[in-house]
Amino acid sequence: MTVLQPFVWGRSMADHFLKIRGLEKSYAMGVIKVLNGLDLTMTSKDRLVVIGPSGGGKSTLLRCIMGLENIAAGAIDINGEPYIGADNGATRIDRRIQKQIGMVFQSYTLFPHLNVLKNLTLAPVRSRGVPRSVAEDRAREIMRRFGLDQKLTAYPSELSGGQKQRVAIARALMLDPKLMLFDEVTSALDPELVSEVIAMIIELADGGMPMMIVTHDMWFARRIATRVVFCAGGTIAEDAPPEEFFARPTSQRARDFINNVLHANAEPA
Amino acid sequence: MQNLDYFFIIQAWPLFLKGLWVTLYLTFWANVAGLIGGALLALCTTGPYRLLSAPAKLYIEFFRCTPALVQIVWFFFCVPILFDVFWSPIFMGVVILGMNLSAFNAEAFRAAIQTIPRAHVDAAVALGLTPFERTAYVIMPQALRYAIPVLITNGIGLFQQTSLVALVGVDELMYNGRLISTSTYRPIETYTFLVLFYLAVSIPIGRLAAFIEARSDRALKA
Ligand SMILES: Nc1ncnc2c1ncn2[C@@H]1O[C@H](COP(=O)(O)OP(=O)(O)O)[C@@H](O)[C@H]1O
Ligand SMILES: [Mg+2]
Repeated sequence: MTVLQPFVWGRSMADHFLKIRGLEKSYAMGVIKVLNGLDLTMTSKDRLVVIGPSGGGKSTLLRCIMGLENIAAGAIDINGEPYIGADNGATRIDRRIQKQIGMVFQSYTLFPHLNVLKNLTLAPVRSRGVPRSVAEDRAREIMRRFGLDQKLTAYPSELSGGQKQRVAIARALMLDPKLMLFDEVTSALDPELVSEVIAMIIELADGGMPMMIVTHDMWFARRIATRVVFCAGGTIAEDAPPEEFFARPTSQRARDFINNVLHANAEPA
Repeated sequence: MQNLDYFFIIQAWPLFLKGLWVTLYLTFWANVAGLIGGALLALCTTGPYRLLSAPAKLYIEFFRCTPALVQIVWFFFCVPILFDVFWSPIFMGVVILGMNLSAFNAEAFRAAIQTIPRAHVDAAVALGLTPFERTAYVIMPQALRYAIPVLITNGIGLFQQTSLVALVGVDELMYNGRLISTSTYRPIETYTFLVLFYLAVSIPIGRLAAFIEARSDRALKA
């Protein structure tokens, strides 16, 4: 927002917008290895869709980028600046950069004791020093833009699942993120509510927001991706533009996965 | 069986009221101390710092696993000697009752904190909230609402426990009741009246508590 903007996301180094090198992550004191030296780069023009089997490490990858996890090894740079790194056992996170990344989760994470307006203004007002009136104006503007302005005084429990996820996206947008992470944000929704959330993400994409999206919705993936990466066994097994990826995946695992998903989607439940 | 005579109660009325005042005073301030102490202890036990969580857990165990009466007697007799402090009996009463209540309230807060989904904390981190901001604006407001029923039960329980400090000379309701009973030689009437008196105060407090609980319930669901 206006008050705190020390870090400049330069256009000149667009090719190095996000660069992940040798990322390793394990749980249970290193017993469960989840990411095994994962490499990935993304430009500021990219909308990266991450697909892959359950347990393949997709959520973990996004959580690492958001700075929610300690990493065992590797580094994440943004615009050529070190953002996250492993320092013998400790994880260094540049909070300045972290503040400009937004994330929306699969489970509903609106704070139930606050109404929609307060959910939106909490972080700007309490954490970033934005005056309340300025934050509330911005909240109204964002909610209007996404057709949610009737819900400003509603509590989360009074919203449908689709509305909850849209408000969660709006809450992240309040902080003017330069990169958005979406982790299966429609997976918990009833089928008829999925499209309103997808429409909102597509609108953001059309506005030029760089994003990384984990989804099992192949229609959505095709529609929004500039690149599709296949994440399995804690590494990126395949990385291609969507047309190429879906037409002729090179790895056997990706081929099997796509066949299974398309097959499952075609079957009536 | 002697004749029962409740008439003398009228004469003893001021002493009863004085006792009631002290009882309510103890209840109120011990609850204030217990809410603050309980919240702080719960934050210590659920936090990441072992240096804080280990002593906090020990404190909670100690106060939950020893009889309140023993704690009170120990506190009144040993603390002035050990630490060379001389506080008024009422203040001592507030401190020890508050310390006891803190341990029980800490458990209520801890259970409430642990029902808050992990994802809420992740979302708060993703929004850039610092650990303090997460605690103050996301975790504790929710935990307080979840914990209210138990906090109220503990608070009413404390109203009854204040009678224990009569034994160490705090002139609250029970103490004055005993005074009246021995000076009038009418223990049956006095203690019967005393029970009714506690009941007459407890029931409205309980009703008020139920009302607050229902309201906060709605606030969380709404
Ligand atoms: N907090 C955790 N503790 C232990 N293991 C975990 C934890 N979170 C995830 N895992 C494990 O990490 C692996 C990858 O999980 P995840 O990143 O959620 O995969 P995906 O999102 O691709 O389904 C899984 O095997 C999962 O069991
Ligand atoms: Mg996942």
